Amino acid sequence: MHIPDGFIDGKTAVTAAVLSVAGVGFALRQVKRELPPRKIPLLGLAAAFLFAAQMINFPVAGGTSGHLVGGTLVAALLGPSAAVVVVTTVLIVQCLLFQDGGVMALGANIFNMAIINSIVGYAVYRLVCHRLTGVRGRVTALVFAAWCATVLAAMCCAGQLAWSGTIPWSIAFSAMTTVHMLIGVGEGLISALVFLAVYHSRPDLISEMATPEQPKRLRELVGYGLLTTLGIAAFLAPFACSWPDGLDSVAEKLGFSHKVIAPLLPAPAPDYQVPGIHWATGATALAGAAGTMIVFVLALLLGRWLVPKPKDS
Amino acid sequence: MNAIEVSNLKYHYHDGTEALRGVSFCIVSGECVALLGPNGSGKSTLLLHLNGILPEKPSGNGTIKILGESVTAKNLNMIRRQVGLVFQDPDDQLFCPTVHEDVAFGPQQLGLGDVELNARVEQALDHVGLAGFGRRATHHLSHGEKRRACLAGVLACEPTILIMDEPTSDLDPRGRREFKALLRQIPSTKLIATHDLELAVELCQRAIVLDHGQIVADGRTVDLLSDERLMLVHGLECPHILRHVHPH
Amino acid sequence: MSADWLGHRHGSIDNPICRMPATLKLGVSLVIIVGTVLAPMNWTGWFFSVSLILLLTIVLSRTPPIFLLKRLLMLSPFVLGVVLVNAFQSGGRNHWPAVAAKSGLCLLTAILLSNTTPFSDMLRSLKSFRIPALLITTLALMHRYLFVLTDEAERMRRARLSRTFAPGRRFEWRSLSTVVGQLFIRASERAEHIYDAMCARGWK
Repeated sequence: MHIPDGFIDGKTAVTAAVLSVAGVGFALRQVKRELPPRKIPLLGLAAAFLFAAQMINFPVAGGTSGHLVGGTLVAALLGPSAAVVVVTTVLIVQCLLFQDGGVMALGANIFNMAIINSIVGYAVYRLVCHRLTGVRGRVTALVFAAWCATVLAAMCCAGQLAWSGTIPWSIAFSAMTTVHMLIGVGEGLISALVFLAVYHSRPDLISEMATPEQPKRLRELVGYGLLTTLGIAAFLAPFACSWPDGLDSVAEKLGFSHKVIAPLLPAPAPDYQVPGIHWATGATALAGAAGTMIVFVLALLLGRWLVPKPKDS
Repeated sequence: MNAIEVSNLKYHYHDGTEALRGVSFCIVSGECVALLGPNGSGKSTLLLHLNGILPEKPSGNGTIKILGESVTAKNLNMIRRQVGLVFQDPDDQLFCPTVHEDVAFGPQQLGLGDVELNARVEQALDHVGLAGFGRRATHHLSHGEKRRACLAGVLACEPTILIMDEPTSDLDPRGRREFKALLRQIPSTKLIATHDLELAVELCQRAIVLDHGQIVADGRTVDLLSDERLMLVHGLECPHILRHVHPH
Repeated sequence: MSADWLGHRHGSIDNPICRMPATLKLGVSLVIIVGTVLAPMNWTGWFFSVSLILLLTIVLSRTPPIFLLKRLLMLSPFVLGVVLVNAFQSGGRNHWPAVAAKSGLCLLTAILLSNTTPFSDMLRSLKSFRIPALLITTLALMHRYLFVLTDEAERMRRARLSRTFAPGRRFEWRSLSTVVGQLFIRASERAEHIYDAMCARGWK
């Protein structure tokens, strides 16, 4: 999902850069506040680890393979702010050393993959862990959180491409979201398996679980919450108006009465697109909602399968 | 039957340097052969070809036959079942958290039941003198113990051919002695890349000397290692064990 | 996946471009990239000048053209995506060459910058741009241990492959995750040793 230069325009790049600088700056201050000095080199090494881990291919089917992206995993292992710093480091090195992702697009890439991916992933992870306790709960939480984070990051990326006028929103949204709903399942599964491997071997290395009870993290909630809201407002909200239109089209296709679902907002001036493409947006939105529920159930099942019930003594 | 047949094997690294320039040799079943040569001669690269890790893409540069079968992309599973490769750095090989899990890694792919699997693991650990080490964490072992755990992990797969890359490097004298005694008891065909020339003399009847990607000598270990000129030219030396002993 | 492609320096290292200060190169590259993205397509003067500068840089730095071509191909999936999407649009048929051209020029600039400037010099420049010290340290450590860890991952991959002869997908995923987990554990332990080594030489 690394956007190269030339695919997003000036205003999108600047907006994303401002949000990223704010987010990474905030994360760096948080890390300095909560990470003991002994763990400072761990940030650099975790970044090197993530880079190396991303190169390991997990076979899927017929020659295709997937690989870990890792924002949510690192957040579950080291905490949300450390994850933002670690993934940002990886993205900067990938950009400057390997030209994976553009220089001007760095702000957007950092926003999508370091901030949205890690923070949304962590938020969902904590939310689910709060309800489902134990290692099983953590595994379920991680699978679901990684999936949500992947999909949301993809949606932000689609929003950025559409706002720049590179690709029409309906196509960008439909294509990227559906693809990443599949990729997200793999990401969730790999994240959970790796987390378990570390947990079984050296649970003491999981900084995020260092304290007996989960840290409150109010400051982060406010800071990152604000940032995420601003980002979604910039990259997704302008296009959300076309969703009801899209849902409308789906309803038509499925044979429901056209009048039953009235558009919530007047549709924006249609961008240049093939007639009927609206239904793709609506269909994707519906699939996303259904997918979220399906993936949550899948995550619960995976939790049960991967973590055998502890034997009562 | 020949256990290993290599014919005109060539290989070059990504930056173009030639690592192997037409290597050819045969190893008969049951033989124990030492692979000698200075650093950078291509020994490790050659060994990685024998179980299909290299070349990364089929290049048609020479042929390799294991137990009469050519090594191709299609029969790699069978080849790796027959050829047990013990790597130079035990940390590369011991990637499971406990000794038991690591030794079980290979045999658990054979469809054995739990009881049989555990028995196989215990037997392999026993064989290398690590009985009772099953529950130990791999990263807490001493260097010698790690090397023995690696050997156990490969022996548990019961390969026909055992290939080892510098098995006694970094071991203290006692560790070396014990490891040599272990290897002596293993009846499979053995190919051992080593700088430990005394091990070569004590365990291997035959030696192949590799230098700059080519075989420069292939014959009786004692004869080769007694040839002072050959040893000096190819970055080796006559081991002490041969200096004061008349070959006849 | 082989780790060999990570070797990114190609061509000679003693040439006028390599000798230029990193800050200058970074600044010029940034101006070129931002300008190229923002410039409307009818500013032919700009695109002509940029192409000339890049050509001069390629010649002076003696960068092998084949290497550049191979790296430019990295862009192709994205460009293909945009081409396909715009092919179905009535008004969008003229859109994709602009995207491809701008993207290509920017990528070429980035490749030349990376190939003629050691990363440590780039970090020193970033430091002078007031990037926070913690981020600079993290970037430096990542760069230092990047190749160590990728080599380790590659060697573990080969060792794992050598003992894999009846792979099922479930088994592969489990063993691959074990390897990734081990990489994290080793990275963490190494980080502790690095901290000790840094303190021993007076780091605060």
